[in-house]
Amino acid sequence: MSLAKDLTNGIFRENPIFKLALGMCPFLAVTTSVENALGMGAAATFVLICSNFLVSLLRNLIPSKVRIPCYIVIIATFVTLVDMVMNAYLPELHRSLGIFIPLIVVNCIILGRAEGFANRHPVLNSVADAVGMGIGFTLAMVILATFRELLGSGTWLNMNVLGRNYANQPLLIAILAPGAFILLGFILGVFNILEKRRGGAK
Amino acid sequence: MGEIFRLGLVLMLVAVVAAVALGIVNGKTAPIIALQKEQEKQDAMRLVAMGLVEADSMRFDSLVVEGMQNPYASVDEELRVVKVSVPPDTSVAGYIFIAYGKGYSSTIQTMVAVDPEGTVAGTKILYQQETPGLGANVTDPSKLTAAFIGRSADEILLRKDGGDIDAMTGCTITSRAVTVSVRKGLQAMAEAGLFRGTGDTDSGEVREGGVE
Repeated sequence: MSLAKDLTNGIFRENPIFKLALGMCPFLAVTTSVENALGMGAAATFVLICSNFLVSLLRNLIPSKVRIPCYIVIIATFVTLVDMVMNAYLPELHRSLGIFIPLIVVNCIILGRAEGFANRHPVLNSVADAVGMGIGFTLAMVILATFRELLGSGTWLNMNVLGRNYANQPLLIAILAPGAFILLGFILGVFNILEKRRGGAK
Repeated sequence: MGEIFRLGLVLMLVAVVAAVALGIVNGKTAPIIALQKEQEKQDAMRLVAMGLVEADSMRFDSLVVEGMQNPYASVDEELRVVKVSVPPDTSVAGYIFIAYGKGYSSTIQTMVAVDPEGTVAGTKILYQQETPGLGANVTDPSKLTAAFIGRSADEILLRKDGGDIDAMTGCTITSRAVTVSVRKGLQAMAEAGLFRGTGDTDSGEVREGGVE
């Protein structure tokens, strides 16, 4: 397995959201704006890289019987670090992401990659995998957040795109919870069509 | 037996390293976070107090008001009143308090500045987790809270409840939470005599009107 392959794996072929369907809870919850999606994506990617790095580094030292508790402690430590640093230096973002920062601990992508990849692969490959998965997760969130923010508030990254008239009477459901599910359905459909085309061309 | 010992040791080591790392970072970030919280509160108080007095420096003192009812017991909060004055003068320029009201999906906190006669001079929503696009619009003053300014407790009432303030469309629960919590806070302060020159206010501040 080459590094490049590990890196791109998480972006399309095994995209955590669209293919593995992991980490759906924060995905649906914080995608109300592109800004939140980017912040959440960056935080999750950071934790993913750190935990994959450490888990891979310690993979021969941690006895397999206690590996899960060890992973949880490692992940929880990094999440708490992110939480504290973000609270100190990016209080605005910290407030809007709220409870979803501490909940990165139980984001299944992170434990999933520690258990499913990092504990069997060398350090560099694990970091590459984490970067890919992180980008894939962030990308997926930004895509959904783009649609939700555009339709639901008429803005993109807080910039007014669709004009004042639209912003005054937007398609509110897009930023409510049901809108997230509906739009996710459409995006998954498009993703599967693309996947089929790609498979057919081979 | 030996294996259990080994497993426990590994777990302990991992936990100790994690604890040390967290302790160090916490030591660095905790003061910054505390400072920021305090700064935010000060900024908010300064902002709402702008409608009260125009001064570069203001002094905020917590007041202990004897016998004041706590209107926010149902949401486990307390009515705390801060006295605003312009140094070196110590007379009351107004009061600031935080109103807590149970909205649709959160307890909304509204900071209110009120002048010594009991008329609202400024408001700011400090915290809310209402529905984005609906109740969350309460943070935009023009949607609701701007209407409070210049009114006293008995005039702060939604049209649906017999007053003349329009609720935000589709968000009666949020609007009512804010309106009722501000009104209750003002009423409790009025009952405690804050607006009549009793309590901590200076003599000569006795005025009629404002709140009944």
